[in-house]
Parts: sequence; C-alpha cells; structure tokens
Amino acid sequence: MQRPPDSARDLRALQAAFGRSLHSVIANDVDLQLLAGSDDATLFGERIDVYRNNAWQFFLTALERTYPVLLRRVGIDFFRQLTREYRAQYPSRRGDLHWIGAAFPAWLASRMAGTGYEWLADLARLEWACEASVAAARRDPVGLESLGGFDADMLPHLALGLQPSLHLVASPFPIWSVWQSNQHDDATPRVDLDAGAEHCVVACVAERVAVYRLEAADHRLLQLLCEGMSLGAATAAATTDAESLARLLGWAFGEGLVVQVVKVTPA
Amino acid sequence: MQAGIGLRSQHHEAILNTASPPAWLEAHTENYFHAGGPGVRALERARSLYPLSLHGVGLGLGSADPIDRRHLECVRDAVRRYEPGLVSEHACWGHVDGEHFNDLLPLPYTEEAVEHLAARVREVQDFLGRQILIENLSAYVSFASSQLSEGEFLAALVERSGCGLLLDVNNAYVNASNLGLDLDAFFAALPRHAIQEIHLAGHARRRVGSRELLIDDHGSAVCDDVWALYDDVLRRFGPLPTLIEWDNDVPPLATLLAEAARADQRLERCHAAAA
Repeated sequence: MQRPPDSARDLRALQAAFGRSLHSVIANDVDLQLLAGSDDATLFGERIDVYRNNAWQFFLTALERTYPVLLRRVGIDFFRQLTREYRAQYPSRRGDLHWIGAAFPAWLASRMAGTGYEWLADLARLEWACEASVAAARRDPVGLESLGGFDADMLPHLALGLQPSLHLVASPFPIWSVWQSNQHDDATPRVDLDAGAEHCVVACVAERVAVYRLEAADHRLLQLLCEGMSLGAATAAATTDAESLARLLGWAFGEGLVVQVVKVTPA
Repeated sequence: MQAGIGLRSQHHEAILNTASPPAWLEAHTENYFHAGGPGVRALERARSLYPLSLHGVGLGLGSADPIDRRHLECVRDAVRRYEPGLVSEHACWGHVDGEHFNDLLPLPYTEEAVEHLAARVREVQDFLGRQILIENLSAYVSFASSQLSEGEFLAALVERSGCGLLLDVNNAYVNASNLGLDLDAFFAALPRHAIQEIHLAGHARRRVGSRELLIDDHGSAVCDDVWALYDDVLRRFGPLPTLIEWDNDVPPLATLLAEAARADQRLERCHAAAA
C-alpha cells in the first residue's frame, strides 16, 4: 500500500531530531546541524538542556504525585532511578500527564520480581487505584431502604450498581497497612511485611479517597457483586453465608458505595 | 475589576468567597478532563460565579504526528461541560513518533510549519465548532531553518486558519531577551482584529551555558519591564481581556488579585484615553 505524501516532511525530521536531543545527555552533531546550523550549534546544544530538564521534571513530578507512598518508602534517589528506567520503556503517550503512571504498577512488578520487594508493585497498584478513583464519575448513592421495595424472596435475584470510583486491590502483602501508616508526615512507618495478605477497597466518598481493608471472603463477595452477579449467585460462588452478605451490604450502603439496585433475570 | 486570574487548585475554595472577585477565570483544560474529582466540582462551582476561558497545554498542534483524537475529544467534552467564553492553545508542538514530552516545544518559522499548524488549527476549530485562540510561545532556541519572523508566522497563521490570537506579553519579553526578538516589529506584524486576550506572568533568570536565560516559569510577580511592555501593548491594541498567570510557587489568592488590580488600573487608563 502506498503511503500518502508527508506534507510536513522537514518538520517531522526536525521534531525527530529535537526529540532525540531531549533523551541524550548531549545532542549529537548531526541533529544539532539540522536544528541550529553550524553557527549556533554550541548555543543550541546548551539551551536545549532547558527542554530536556523540563521533560524529565514533568515526567518525574507526575509519578511523584501519583505514587507518594511508594516514593516515601523507597526514597527519592531510588524513585528517580525507577522513573528513569520506566520512562525508557514507557515514555509518555498522552498530552495529559494523568496517564504517565498507568503502566507503572505492571512494570514495577516485572522490575521487582525475585528481589524480595514484590510488595512495592502491589503498593503501586493500590496508589494507581486511588488515582483512578479520584478521576472517576460520582453518582448519588442509594440507601439500604432501596432493598425494601422488593419482596424478600426476590433478594437473591437482585444485583447492585456500585460507585464508578470503586476499585478492588488484593495483595499477599499488608499493603493497606503500609498505605495507612504513610498518610501523615509525622508517622513512623513500622509495618511487618510478613504479616500476610490484605484486601483493599478504594472509593471516593465525599470527594476524598477512602481506602478500606476487608476480610478476604468479603472482598471476594464484593468482587463478584462488582462483576454484576446477583446477591444469591455471588453468595453461592463466594461460599459465604447470609449473615456475611448482610454485614457487607450494611457496610457498602452505609459508606455510600451502592448507587443502584436492579432485578436480575435468571439466565 | 476587568482582569482575570488563572484558577489553581490552591484557590478552589477561596475564589468562591473572596470579597474582591476577579472579572473572570481561566483554567487549564487538561486539569478538568476527568468525569469526577474535587477539581471538577470546584470548577463547576466557580463557573456558576465567573466567566471562564479554557486554556489547553497538551494538544501540541504543530506536531508532525497526527492530533491525538482522544485528547481532542476530551477538550470537546470540557468545552461542552463548562461552556467557556474563550478556548485557547499554543503555537507549539509536543509529540513525535508517538512520544509526548508534555511541554510546549518551539516550531521553526517556516512556510511548511505555518501551513501545517494552520491546517491543524482548522481541524480543531471544525471539530469544536468554534474559533480558538493561539498563544505566542516563549522559547529558548531558534532554528536555522526559520524563514519568517515570529510576527509574520502568527499573522500567516491567523490568515490561513481564521484563529484568534492570545498575546502573552511576558513570552514576547522573554523571546526578546533570549532570542533577540524585535518587539516593535513583532507587535507591528500582528493583526489587531485577531487579538482577543492578553497573558501576563512572571519569569526567572537562570544561567545556561555561556549566557543568562529568562525562563518562562510563571513562578513570580510580573516584573516592571513587562508591565511597561503591557502599557505599550494597550496603547497599540487598546484594552483587551487580560489574565494573570501564576502556576508555580502559587501565592495566596490576595497576591494574585493584587496583580490583577494592577492590570485593571492600566486597562482603566486605556479606556479613559480612548474615550
């Protein structure tokens, strides 16, 4: 297939040379010749450092804002090293800085595999869930009384619509405890990383991110409800009981996480 | 008051209750792309009290790469949601070969570049169904391939795209210092009818290599030289909606409002002289 003619061929070549110069410590002579000509190449080479530094700082700052607890736990020097490595593989692909950190948890999981620091990737997943939760739409919650409009024998066939800001994160490590212990500057984080798994729910409540810790069984049940399963089917699939379901529903309605109750037609 | 200020998250609450409100607000479009969040709620509330303009920093319209349609759709959604009086972007590029540098990068002032940028501006205007303003850029480098002056470049852009201009007085001052821009020739080349908004901001001084550069960091008060240049711009072009930009080391709201009041005094003098 024939490619359409490039109406901005010289402009593309110039921007490609400029882009390469933003990645290298020193712009190469061929690119400088193209960009600045022979007379001003030295001056250009010095000044392009302003843009190089900007590009790095914007990227770093975006990650720092998204992953403040991770930054605090690993320290700024290692965080910068991770950022350099991540940026080399996952440069920014959007004009909106929000998305810069989207691939970071998965990348970090790969980077930390086998190092004994795998929990850092799960902590990053929790922090990205917070970021996504803040950006999500809000819907008016409904109360527990919304179940009252249905006959009791209909309850197993009801499904819940949940806040779009709700995200579930589970980890074999105590990431909720790590996150929680790093929410204040004066906190002294002392978390036993061998304390076992924690199951988290992230949601925006009253415009603030809330991170809850649930029991594993409740987390599993909530996950099934998030997937659209009816109360009856989810309870059966999670092998839990009516008492646990009632407790979970009381909590979810009470926290404003439920936005809709709908009747599900059995398949 | 006739001058506006850039809305920053630090002032989301204070702007709703200030005793001396600015005439209007400008928000960075990309900060309000999302469906929810405290920023979105704050802008909705502020919008109910103030006229608004949306100022984009992420489209990179002069990029040889195609326009990011997802980004453009987000701009369109923000325009529909907040119904701004003005929508603006920059005479810059920002991405190449799929990589975004999330910065306002300078274009060569060539026939090819102005034709390309004009086509992109037309594309955006068609998509949004409205005119946009394009802001002159501050820059630290110039290109060997440039054939046009910055003023000629912007005038050609207006003619070929039908866009308006957002004249950033600080950017012109920075370019005069960093790149030797002839300010008289620059202003003389700009089509008066196209200029619909003025930006004022502070800059920093930094030694880079062999020379001191002015860095357009929006991190301080407008300096005396830029105020003087603003006076000159008002004499040339008449009173225009003027905005105080302050994005880094953001001060208390009162400081921003005091800067806006200084702009107001000059706008009032300009009105009086024209009467």
